[in-house]
Amino acid sequence: MAGSEQAHWPGPAGGPGADPELALLVSRIARGDQRAYEQFYDRAAGPVLGLVLSVLRDLAQSEEVMQEVLLEAWRTASRYDPARGSAMSWLMMLAHRRAVDRVRSEQRAAEREQRATSAQVDYDDVIEAVESALDRERVRRCLDALTELQRESVTLAYYGGYSYSEVARLLGVPPGTVKTRMRDGLIRLRDCLGAE
Amino acid sequence: MAGFRRRGRDRAELHSLAGAYALNALSGPDQARFERHLAGCEQCRLEVRGFGETAARLGAAQAVRPRPELRDQALRTAARTRQLPPGPRLWPGRAPSGSARAGAAASWWGRPGRGPWPRLLAAGVAAAVLAAAAVAGVTALRDEHRISQDQARGNELAAVLSAPDVVMLTAKVTGGGKATVLMSHHMRALVFTAAGLPPLPAGKGYELWLIGPSGSRPQGMLPAGAARPMMIAGLADGDQVGVTVEPRAGSAQPTTRPVLLMPLE
Repeated sequence: MAGSEQAHWPGPAGGPGADPELALLVSRIARGDQRAYEQFYDRAAGPVLGLVLSVLRDLAQSEEVMQEVLLEAWRTASRYDPARGSAMSWLMMLAHRRAVDRVRSEQRAAEREQRATSAQVDYDDVIEAVESALDRERVRRCLDALTELQRESVTLAYYGGYSYSEVARLLGVPPGTVKTRMRDGLIRLRDCLGAE
Repeated sequence: MAGFRRRGRDRAELHSLAGAYALNALSGPDQARFERHLAGCEQCRLEVRGFGETAARLGAAQAVRPRPELRDQALRTAARTRQLPPGPRLWPGRAPSGSARAGAAASWWGRPGRGPWPRLLAAGVAAAVLAAAAVAGVTALRDEHRISQDQARGNELAAVLSAPDVVMLTAKVTGGGKATVLMSHHMRALVFTAAGLPPLPAGKGYELWLIGPSGSRPQGMLPAGAARPMMIAGLADGDQVGVTVEPRAGSAQPTTRPVLLMPLE
């Protein structure tokens, strides 16, 4: 008894979205472990590509950004700070930032506003959704539970890559309203996703 | 008077930017303003971090299957790409939109050494805790058994450290040294480290305890010398963290007066 190391764990923590194994892989990558990077790729590539694609809407560009993001993860793994967030949130932040930087540097606001109203994108037959993304259904349910303005504000910003002033223009509401709806929406999403 | 009211209003208005910030949706000036605010608002940092996790869930839910040929390409590129050596912990920042400040955009998140936990970093504790939390450690590469044990342990440590409700407590140790606890109430778990404890005579060691209404539960011997973090799970109401000096092999119950007794409230 005495002197034994306590390693008991009450179970997976942080909800279904937490992926402690990803954090583990990142720490192995930080030591140059290429086997770990293969496993990391298998877990990370799908979510990264999906998020980037939702912002850029162009498969070829998105694949390019995905490769940049994954390479950045490889390069900077030793600097990942678990105290600031899960490995998945680190990765998604890298991906979203890259996608947004690219879209904002390449496209003028006017073109993008037009894009927002344009119809379905056409990569659906090239690329398949990951069926095993259990979170997909849950996230959809939680998004559905928001008010319309909250949902539009959050999804246009995150999936669309729009700034809040662009979102305000698209929705025809004052920027201040969009800011508070984004925060309220995230609070409700956080509670909804955490509770399930 | 009016100044106070105005400041209060500005503050509330700044708070409301947390959502847009976490969604990467702020313009350059707003982002800079909010980051200045973040540096002094622990509440906001916690909120932003929680939002970051929520956004990540939204992102991961969009997962698609990349074309298989991309995999080889990614692995080959990585294999010939030099990695950053360990150094200051970074978090992705973002160049503020529509501005030429990209160079200056080592944003609040990305600025080395200044993070949501500046006190921690200043205390030099985080480095040790996180290095170990980052799992396995080179010393663990001795045998398979050790590796799997250390990996499991690293997962747990990382989970506590990244829990949304993690809090830090510190206390002085009688006789010298300092103890630091990072605790998640929600997970009923904590990570314990101590630094600067006086060396003990051969055959003696520091033993870690949970001391609660139902008695004392041994949590293992502190590693001599190294500030290696220890993980404690299964916290109960009224528990305190204690350290006593015991024979090297450990005792089943404390036999000396604690050099540390730390309430966890």
